[in-house]
Amino acid sequence: MGKSLMIVDDSATMRKIIMRTVRMSGLEFDRTEEAGSGVEALQKLEGGPVDVMLCDINMPEMNGTELVKKARELPSCSGTKIVMVSTESAQDLIDQVMSDGADGYITKPFTPEKFQEKLAPLLN
Amino acid sequence: MITTMSLRDSLLDSAKEVFETMAFMALEEVHEDQEAPRLEDETLLGTITFKGNLEGCLAICCGWHCARAIGANMLGTDPDEPMSDDEMSDAIGEIANMVMGAMKARIQDEVGTVEVSIPSVVRGRELRNSLGDRASKITVTVNLEEEHGMQFSLLYRESGD
Repeated sequence: MGKSLMIVDDSATMRKIIMRTVRMSGLEFDRTEEAGSGVEALQKLEGGPVDVMLCDINMPEMNGTELVKKARELPSCSGTKIVMVSTESAQDLIDQVMSDGADGYITKPFTPEKFQEKLAPLLN
Repeated sequence: MITTMSLRDSLLDSAKEVFETMAFMALEEVHEDQEAPRLEDETLLGTITFKGNLEGCLAICCGWHCARAIGANMLGTDPDEPMSDDEMSDAIGEIANMVMGAMKARIQDEVGTVEVSIPSVVRGRELRNSLGDRASKITVTVNLEEEHGMQFSLLYRESGD
């Protein structure tokens, strides 16, 4: 069965760049969707889960750390792999968001190889 | 206390890393004894503020054509394809965000935790940023792909200054 991906970032340009980088990494998803905010992402997740969610941290309205906590409260998201994609690189923040329920962390700037390294193990 | 030279090196190294990784473009510093490429009249100024033991503002200033080339490279589109003002601004804002993030990672051992804002971008002529009299300023002029002039600047002061 095909895999699905959601990219959550308040920057439309960054969503496109992430999508392009995922393609360049060689990873294949049958269904991809985007959300411009944490609120929009939650609404979409309530309508149906995705296999992988790539999520920014610094976003207006609802930041990525709040989104992770709320997504983990949704029964439909119990199997969703959540990977944060952020410029934030402080170890205490990374530890916090991982303990809140994230499955991985990629710092910007990133490469296709980094996506392959972090996402491929989660898809198997 | 972090030195001006250390901040300057971190700024330039961070900018190079971001442009090479995310825009697949090379940038070279233009030294004082070299002729700086002319900045276009119509410019975009992307800024991002930070606070903590070190507070201030990182800014990226480039011309409209330069911003368009950066946006096209980041998105993998043809430079001749139409690009909206919003897309260009978004691209410059993301560059500012990533340069700040990369720089923060380089300096956090020396300055501790730094909180960063969401970037903003304005477009106009003769744009300048300021942080008052007590701020220090580092300006780095670069040549992007041997074609476009760009400026990175860091206005900063240490908390309690």
